[in-house]
Amino acid sequence: MSAATDRSSKLLRLSGILLLTGLAIEAISLRWIHPIAFLLFFVAGGACLAAGVLVFLYLLVFRSGPLHSNDTPAS
Amino acid sequence: MPGPLAILFVLLGTTIVLLLVLVARASLLHTPAGKVLASLAFFALPVVCGLWGLSEHLERSKQTVFCLSCHIMEPYGQSLFADNPMSIPAAHFQNHRIPVDEACYTCHTNYALYGTIRVKLHGLRHIYVQYFGTAMQPIHLYDPYNNRECLHCHEGARSFENDTHAALLDQIKNNQLSCVSSGCHDVIHNIDSVNKSKPWRPVK
Repeated sequence: MSAATDRSSKLLRLSGILLLTGLAIEAISLRWIHPIAFLLFFVAGGACLAAGVLVFLYLLVFRSGPLHSNDTPAS
Repeated sequence: MPGPLAILFVLLGTTIVLLLVLVARASLLHTPAGKVLASLAFFALPVVCGLWGLSEHLERSKQTVFCLSCHIMEPYGQSLFADNPMSIPAAHFQNHRIPVDEACYTCHTNYALYGTIRVKLHGLRHIYVQYFGTAMQPIHLYDPYNNRECLHCHEGARSFENDTHAALLDQIKNNQLSCVSSGCHDVIHNIDSVNKSKPWRPVK
């Protein structure tokens, strides 16, 4: 695996972790009717979701890696 | 039939599972189907979940329990149960002239273009003041109460058609004379008397 592909894989994992965090925050905030829940969703959840999506788009547009590889999966 | 919130939670769960699978098994991304799945899990579904969550939170922020969840608003919530037919908020709330679940929002929103956005921004200011500043003592509206919010429902209603309103209609519409002026409908959230009288309690 090349260094570039390795970096892309790390970025993909980072994107996934950010999105998972954002979605978890959203799920927690939706269990609660309070201004703090709105702030939690809007500031923390929104930031994680936006960052995760942006990292994925960056990966898709500017980087080579798992999403661009034509390799067949290892059996 | 499951409600929108249940569907949103199912969508959140599905997205989380997909993300976990794709993060754990990156080799799946090498297949065309995996790439489509990645676009869904890393982009489309989180965007849909985020926007749906935002919409859900904005709808919740209209609820009476949301407004009254801050300690400073408690007496205003209690004033809705005042046993006084002359109290405008209490009479509206107790007689279901406004939706009980969205009592605060119905009267304190802004019935103008982009009014909802303006009141939401005011709401963010409330949150800022509540947690990072010092609230006004006593709290009061940022702007004088606009008759437009009353006329939104009352204008054209049979109960509004009387000689007094007809004679003053232009002044009322131009906000030259407030609906809540002294001598008119002037018993508004009367906080001082909230704890002095027995509140109305709905029969279950």
